[in-house]
Amino acid sequence: MIFVTGPLYSGKREFARTVLGCREADMVWDVQDLAAGCGDLEELARKLENHPVVIATEVGGGVVPMDRDQRAAREAAGRLACLLAKRAETVVRVFCGLPTVLKGTLP
Amino acid sequence: MLTLVIGGSASGKSEYAESLILASPARPRYYLATMEVYDGESRARVARHRAMRAEKEFETIECPVNLSALTLPRPGAVLLEDLGNLAANELYSPRGAGAGALDAILQGVDRLLEQCSDLVVVSNELFTGGSSYAGDTEAYLRLMADAHLALAKKADRVCEVVCGIAQY
Repeated sequence: MIFVTGPLYSGKREFARTVLGCREADMVWDVQDLAAGCGDLEELARKLENHPVVIATEVGGGVVPMDRDQRAAREAAGRLACLLAKRAETVVRVFCGLPTVLKGTLP
Repeated sequence: MLTLVIGGSASGKSEYAESLILASPARPRYYLATMEVYDGESRARVARHRAMRAEKEFETIECPVNLSALTLPRPGAVLLEDLGNLAANELYSPRGAGAGALDAILQGVDRLLEQCSDLVVVSNELFTGGSSYAGDTEAYLRLMADAHLALAKKADRVCEVVCGIAQY
């Protein structure tokens, strides 16, 4: 599994399509939204690992929100991203459309 | 050696910072805890971090303000977690340095560096979520930015942790 992360609208899916040559059916995106309220992030990460490409938007930067639920959602998304990065053979962060390989190598 | 480790919420920065201390030959290992415990959420966070440090032989020292007054029992390796809490306490706590927060933090780090061989400071990525903030938040962000710039200049290593992976 290749894990692709990066800020909102940074070109993550476009990178998966063009550079990785991935079809939409083979990728899952916005997985950060699945983390909030999920009781078992390990299990969620295990399930997501079945997709060839998993994409998450980074949401943990910036000022920590005052709202408790928003804080919890950011925490959960961050933990899920750490779990996915551990499971992935390759981790890429896309920034302004430019990929940086954080782990492994591009296929 | 001073290392500055910066990351967003739940980016894996704590675990990575711990791994740097574990890789250091220096003993004992000190954990300087900066968070003032005031509710269930902060208690849960402290419990989570204490569990992560279990069996790793860290001595925990509570240090919510006035870092420069701290004298370590012996030299060793120090994990300071985290700058965001320390800065908030110095700025807003009745016991904090208020307008002198930046100096208090930087002098505290200098004082620690005199007393230990390895210091890892964990801090928070706060600067990519917007560019216009009001009053108190603005003052806090400015303090954190100034502290980051000063510590990054002083540090031997600076990294950002993204999904558990450090980038230097």
